[in-house]
Amino acid sequence: MSLFESYRTDPFFDEMFFENGEPRPHYRKLFQHLKDMTPEEFKRRVALADKTLINQGITFAVYGDGAGTEKPFPFDLIPRIIPADEWDLIERGLKQRLQTLNLFLYDIYHEQKVLKDGVVPRELVINASNYRAEFQNADPPGNIYVHICGTDLIRDADGTYRVLEDNLRTPSGVSYVLENRTILTRVMPFMFRDLPVRPVDNYTTQLLSNLRELAPASRQENPNVVLLTPGVYNSAYFEHAFLAQQLGIELVEGRDLEVRDNIVFMRTTKGLERVDVIYRRIDDDFLDPLVFRKDSKLGVPGLVHAYRHGNVALANSIGTGVADDKVIYAFVPKLIRYYLGEDAILPNVETYLASEPDSLLYILENLDKLVVKAANESGGYGMLMGPQATKEERDEFALKIKENPRNYIAQPLIALSRAPAFLGECCEGRHVDLRPYLLTGKRGMTLIPGALTRVALKKGSYVVNSSQGGGSKDTWVLAKEGMSQSQGNGSQTQTMGSMTQTLSSSKSQMGSPLSSNPAQTSKGNE
Amino acid sequence: MLCRDADACYWIGRYVERAEATARMVDVHYHAALDSGMSYNVEDVPPGETEPPIHWASLLKISGSDEDFYARYESETDRDIIQFFAFDLKNPHSILSTWNRARDNARSIREQIASEMWESINIFYLELREWNVDRVLEGSPHEFFERVKRSSHLFQGILNRTMLMSETRDWLDVGRFLERGDQTARLLDVKYHDLLPAYRAIEENAHPAVEPLGVGSQLDIHGWIAVLKSVSAFEMYRKVYPAGLRSASVVDFLVLNPQFPASVRHCVKRVDGCLTRIGDGPKESETAMEPQRLIMRLMADLQYVRPGSIIKSGLHEFLEDIQVQCADLGDSITKTYLSY
Repeated sequence: MSLFESYRTDPFFDEMFFENGEPRPHYRKLFQHLKDMTPEEFKRRVALADKTLINQGITFAVYGDGAGTEKPFPFDLIPRIIPADEWDLIERGLKQRLQTLNLFLYDIYHEQKVLKDGVVPRELVINASNYRAEFQNADPPGNIYVHICGTDLIRDADGTYRVLEDNLRTPSGVSYVLENRTILTRVMPFMFRDLPVRPVDNYTTQLLSNLRELAPASRQENPNVVLLTPGVYNSAYFEHAFLAQQLGIELVEGRDLEVRDNIVFMRTTKGLERVDVIYRRIDDDFLDPLVFRKDSKLGVPGLVHAYRHGNVALANSIGTGVADDKVIYAFVPKLIRYYLGEDAILPNVETYLASEPDSLLYILENLDKLVVKAANESGGYGMLMGPQATKEERDEFALKIKENPRNYIAQPLIALSRAPAFLGECCEGRHVDLRPYLLTGKRGMTLIPGALTRVALKKGSYVVNSSQGGGSKDTWVLAKEGMSQSQGNGSQTQTMGSMTQTLSSSKSQMGSPLSSNPAQTSKGNE
Repeated sequence: MLCRDADACYWIGRYVERAEATARMVDVHYHAALDSGMSYNVEDVPPGETEPPIHWASLLKISGSDEDFYARYESETDRDIIQFFAFDLKNPHSILSTWNRARDNARSIREQIASEMWESINIFYLELREWNVDRVLEGSPHEFFERVKRSSHLFQGILNRTMLMSETRDWLDVGRFLERGDQTARLLDVKYHDLLPAYRAIEENAHPAVEPLGVGSQLDIHGWIAVLKSVSAFEMYRKVYPAGLRSASVVDFLVLNPQFPASVRHCVKRVDGCLTRIGDGPKESETAMEPQRLIMRLMADLQYVRPGSIIKSGLHEFLEDIQVQCADLGDSITKTYLSY
């Protein structure tokens, strides 16, 4: 029995196969590699991958699950492949979108022209729970608000890529992009054969270089960059530790830092040491108890003032959540036109705002067909999947919507594309999304050629969040045909060149015999 | 280095070492008792009753947990003892407790240490969850204690092979060697009293005529071998003292020998080396020079004393003083470098 014998694409857009069951061109080689594999052989490799994950403690914490609070993140070994031309479209679309959102944030926290021109209703911005009035007229370094962005994309029934939501605060998941690749090359090396898969490991180098550039001018020479985590009990702690390790920077908690005269220091065994750039993985609300939530024990008193004084840089900046609000989301295509004079390259999903009376009526009448989301929740919390919900759940949600229409949006249920996932005995189609990671530095934007593909492993489920039973896949972005893999990445080509040189110059020393114990050698000969 | 990270390293060093020390002691006591041919303190056993095969009380004293044990357990059966020392989560010094805490600390600084170090701790953490007292007694208890020892050795080997010669390594070593030295002193302190009832009698009666430094009875020899074995010192002791087993020599070897890796002196010297490299405490600290002062004093005590005079003026007093000094040093290190 083979992995794909009983595979059906059903009525969905399948990433790997055409409706007639033929593999799509960019999946053909992978299909060749996999088609004769037995489920037993595949299971052996799954076990190997699982063991690696558990031993390394690549786990996430599940809130509200008292028993086992650490779980390995399920990893499906069949990669998702994106051909070069599709990736090109995604890259242009995401850069256009992020450039717009950075301009929008600058505008909102300065002159607010976009509100004066009536492009976005003022009250939607001012009342957004992540709008930070405290941060009005502050200038972040280089006027960049969002340094690290993880936008969720989906593909609909005809394969069109659409933006599902923007994540501009502290997007997570990139560690799985890097780790999944490492594990897959170990347990399924043969799958990579003959495929120009682009490398993802440049991510941390680029991120570190961007972060260092944010340091105050007087500290540019050797800035101290740290990663601020809420601590070991945070669900993304593994990622925080992993990134700090890969970036070679200190992983700090709020209690490790203190602010004196608007300068941030960390407490070391040798005394106080100045901190210049903070890659923070703590939400605005908890960042500084003097400015935001008073009860926050995770933050650092005085941090926001130090930031406003330009003595320390934060990535991402404060107040970015106003632009990834699910209500503002609906206005992004308009904003792209307003700021750049262009049409959106990647379309949105059709969205109804409960704050608009006509739409509110439509939403309430069609709750059984719609997906309703709270404006500021993430991780699949605070959400109603209309078609799958019970009548009681829908009624309960209707009340919440009527109570606070500003806080809700609704979207038609999109028939998310599916990709094959291995489920114990054979492969079946499961719904997937796509989260690429886009970095903005002072010298421009960089999209890592890879992404997190999340997959809803439960049959029929559309919810891909890890907190709701989702898993992940390695995502292969293919290089353009005829291009070598290292093209488009100058620094790597250079490194390769110098490596070759070093090797050839030391050649004369290679091949000299290893020394051994003469006494033993002669004994052996006797 | 961040104070919090240094603190975590220090405790990883201590807990891994403590898990190993506990495993060694229970293991050796368990197996030494099997072929001793008799119980140690025969006079303690009421006539007509079979004596408990192993004299566990001293073990409970070494770890300072006798009160805790007797409050929660009724008897000193092998089963209760192994449960208590290996798996009892209410006992903060059980192997399971200490390993869990080593892992918690390692998890909080996993970006500071090599991934292989974290993995070696995590893998044994996962393995420990599959052990329990039934499984230990079903097979060979030695196999279990050997697993603990090897996991500690694996961790330390990876540490030696992968960590930079940096402050991080120094803090791991400060914890490891302070704990090891302290454990050796405790072991010797308690076992010495166990093993030399004759000598104890002399102390009590202040009878100066009896020479306490001679070779003991058969039982004493067996006991001293167990002590040496429980710190993996027996074979090395033989090389240094081919003349045989004398209590003064054992004390010399375990406390004062500068070359044996578990001797108190060697351990303190290693801590001193680490602290010298780490340097003075932060200027902000009120006790910046205190750890250096304490360690110099401890070094002097161990460097310039003779084993004979230790025993004459009271080994117990000497060892107790060493333990107090180790505890003070630990407190002072925490206060100076690691508090936040």
